[in-house]
Amino acid sequence: MALTGKQKKQSWNALQIVLILIAAFIMLVPIVWIAMAAFKTHVDVYQLKLFFAPTLENFKTVFQAPYHLEQKLFNSTIVAFVTVVLAIPIATCAAYSFSRFTLRGQTVLLVMILATQFVPAVVIVLPFFVMFRDIGLLDTRLGLILVNLSIVMPFAIWMIKGFIDGIPMDTEEAALVDGSTRMQVIRNIVLPMAAPGIVTAAIFCFIIGWNEFLFALILTSKDAVTLPIGLALFKAEEGDLWNLLAAAGIIIMVPMFVLALIIQKHFVQGMTMGAVR
Amino acid sequence: MAKVVLTNLTKRWGDFVGVDNQSLEIHDKEFLVLLGPSGCGKTTTMRMIAGLEDPTAGEIRIGDRVVNDALPKDRDIAMVFQNYGLYPHMTIYDNIAYPLKVRGTPKPEIEPRVQKAAEQVELTEFLHRKPKALSGGQRQRVALARAIVRHPQVFLMDEPLSNLDAKLRVSMRAELKHLSHMLQVTTVYVTHDQIEAMTLADRVAVMKNGRIQQLGTPDEIYNDPANLFVAGFIGSPAMNLIEGRIENGVFVTQGGFAVTKVEAPNRSGLVLGVRPEDLTIVEPGTGDFDVPVYAFENTGESVQITGQFNRQRVIAKGDRYLKREIEEMTGMSVDQKHLYLFDQSSGERIRN
Amino acid sequence: MRDRHLKYLLVLPAVIVVFATAIWPLVESLRLSFYEGRLSRPAFPQSFLGVENYTWAFLEEPAFWNSVWVTATYTFWTVLLTTLLALGLALLLAPGGRLRVTVQSLLIIPFAMSPALIGVSFRFMFNPEFGLFDAFFGIVFPPLATISWLSDPTLAFWVCIMADVWGWIPFLTLVLIGGLASIPRDTIEAAQVDGASGWRVLKDVTLPQLVPVLAVVLILKAIFSLKTFDQVYMLTNGGPGTATQTLSHYVYFNGLKYSQIGYSAAVAWLMVIPMIFLTYAYAKFVFQKK
Repeated sequence: MALTGKQKKQSWNALQIVLILIAAFIMLVPIVWIAMAAFKTHVDVYQLKLFFAPTLENFKTVFQAPYHLEQKLFNSTIVAFVTVVLAIPIATCAAYSFSRFTLRGQTVLLVMILATQFVPAVVIVLPFFVMFRDIGLLDTRLGLILVNLSIVMPFAIWMIKGFIDGIPMDTEEAALVDGSTRMQVIRNIVLPMAAPGIVTAAIFCFIIGWNEFLFALILTSKDAVTLPIGLALFKAEEGDLWNLLAAAGIIIMVPMFVLALIIQKHFVQGMTMGAVR
Repeated sequence: MAKVVLTNLTKRWGDFVGVDNQSLEIHDKEFLVLLGPSGCGKTTTMRMIAGLEDPTAGEIRIGDRVVNDALPKDRDIAMVFQNYGLYPHMTIYDNIAYPLKVRGTPKPEIEPRVQKAAEQVELTEFLHRKPKALSGGQRQRVALARAIVRHPQVFLMDEPLSNLDAKLRVSMRAELKHLSHMLQVTTVYVTHDQIEAMTLADRVAVMKNGRIQQLGTPDEIYNDPANLFVAGFIGSPAMNLIEGRIENGVFVTQGGFAVTKVEAPNRSGLVLGVRPEDLTIVEPGTGDFDVPVYAFENTGESVQITGQFNRQRVIAKGDRYLKREIEEMTGMSVDQKHLYLFDQSSGERIRN
Repeated sequence: MRDRHLKYLLVLPAVIVVFATAIWPLVESLRLSFYEGRLSRPAFPQSFLGVENYTWAFLEEPAFWNSVWVTATYTFWTVLLTTLLALGLALLLAPGGRLRVTVQSLLIIPFAMSPALIGVSFRFMFNPEFGLFDAFFGIVFPPLATISWLSDPTLAFWVCIMADVWGWIPFLTLVLIGGLASIPRDTIEAAQVDGASGWRVLKDVTLPQLVPVLAVVLILKAIFSLKTFDQVYMLTNGGPGTATQTLSHYVYFNGLKYSQIGYSAAVAWLMVIPMIFLTYAYAKFVFQKK
């Protein structure tokens, strides 16, 4: 007997479930693989064991000499944090103005801000490398923070602008009619209403700053090295120290996973700068 | 052409009951309106007929065929959606032609049929445009044309006029009525607008909480409501519903206000229903009761007077030349032939 | 203060920051690209060369053309594969329900992983002695188990593409799920009632309405593919030889390892040119929305 339309639909649904599970598996394997290695001993890594006695030894080792990952952790935290602290207030002001007013040359400015995001990082970093060499900012956290602003600002402005666009004007206009000044409106009305959006943008920018690689690779060498660059520490003469690399990898990625899960709803909007809602 | 038979149809989402064990037979060529407030299950019922929603239990027949397991495309129906559901990337021509194309109608047949459908809804000059370039009313016509271009067994219309402005809605209503008369196809029409229901329907099913409260001709629904809900839902302004009891042939409110004579045995826990047009405005002292005027409204074709006694308000419709001042006393006289009594707790109609 | 002054004052700091951190280096790179700029020598930059750095790249440097080719093929394959797979996954996940929503939220995880770490992770998995893949093939198809993936130019290139596709699918999938969700449901239901099969609904109604989002996705992915650096650096470091040396990597190598700032700037600026077109196209989509 031929299948009814509904039966066909049901078997197609079952096939879909299988495909989804396979996709989820492929998505997770590289992460699980590295997470497992982080808890393996050196010997277990080389024996490809699927079952092993987990150890926290690797996490202890990476924070000891000669690796001292805590310095990189500190650098990464400071750099990402200060970048965000600088970028968000500036971006919020600009985003409000772009959202609520018509400025002369607004479109040009907005496109320019958008475009800077797409400039290859190598183009940005070369002049900074030369300049920092001359004024002594190479291998400093401050230098790295300044350059990181170039990638974080466009995201922050566009993202926060998107959130403010979504706040109805009525409340602000009511406050203006009730006698508030524009600055009072921004402080008392806009900031509280846009707060979730601003926090989201801040977390988003923190992740970008934390994962940033090329600038740190070129502009730091010893004192200001961040976590992603610190991975290179674990390349030894006899080959990569995978168990330690994996432990460092966990330290890099787990905090970002947590942050990403918090703001997951807004990730797409942020990355596409409002081209897709 | 076909009849549609729903048997013990139920739709539940978790604990929420959308349609509650409902049976209904829609006759061949009948125009049946499902009427009710939002969330009453009328749209869900229609979507189950269309196959866009799977029933939790029960059976759906279109013609002689049980269609529970058929996909929408295999049910031989056409549907007009609330937001029209036009394909934004296709021209009007392609929109109307789509049901034919996708069912493999031979090419030479498509063109004349699209033309004819477009003529029927007066769209011929817009065929090359995209939906975005049309007004709301024109889009509505495209949706209609797309439905009538085939000869389906059943038309389903989900609040098709609700996105139009008031004036356009009235003229489209007439067009729809004309079209449906010409086509003679079984039609199920969902709306929350009682005037649409009254004007279009052969029969109306008034729904609430997933159940049909009353099924009947517009006349029956209006003049012979089965319960308090139907009485209160149909009519604008709504029927006056006055709580009280019958004492020695007189209807008296809780506060002891005597409203009118009623020929019925003594009983308490009642609701008396009188339509505003069955209340006549008279000089004080000459009617059934006197009330102070709470509001006086002139709608142009008539006036409405709201009177208040205790905490109960009653609305009466009167001649357009009538004048009353607010707080002035006015008399109201009740048409004894059009009184309705309901049981207050069950809401059921009490018939003598 | 009046709004008409305030509104400019509010954007001023942002404009200054963007100019200082993005526009200035862009212009300065262009200036440097016309100079002989060797960091090793004093008095930087040295003599003015005009377009010589550019002609040098075009005429005298097979390594430059190699990077152009690597970047172009890399971009082509990553854009194509990521978009197709993400579209498939988005269509699978879009209907919702508990399983699908769970997998949707899992998608955010690979996306938050730093590209450098993705490079490390794939290098680890493709390690010839104790990598996951060799173990896998050791069981499934032993002849493949002995392959040294990252030492073979072609295989290394494809491993880089795999890592890139793996890292970008989640994001593009999420974007496309958003795009699918914004398609009016009633157009899809209308097509079902009109008689279209699942496949016809997809082809005639869903995909045509997804075109703007697909275009955004393609452009965005192309931009990021052209810029690729982190993953490749950690995964193969451009090797073996120069088999996976992307343009970014080539610039990095010449600028930092060989201290040829002027020449690097010229090549870097050659990368900016396709970006201008892509950004223009992208901006059109962004402003079309408004």
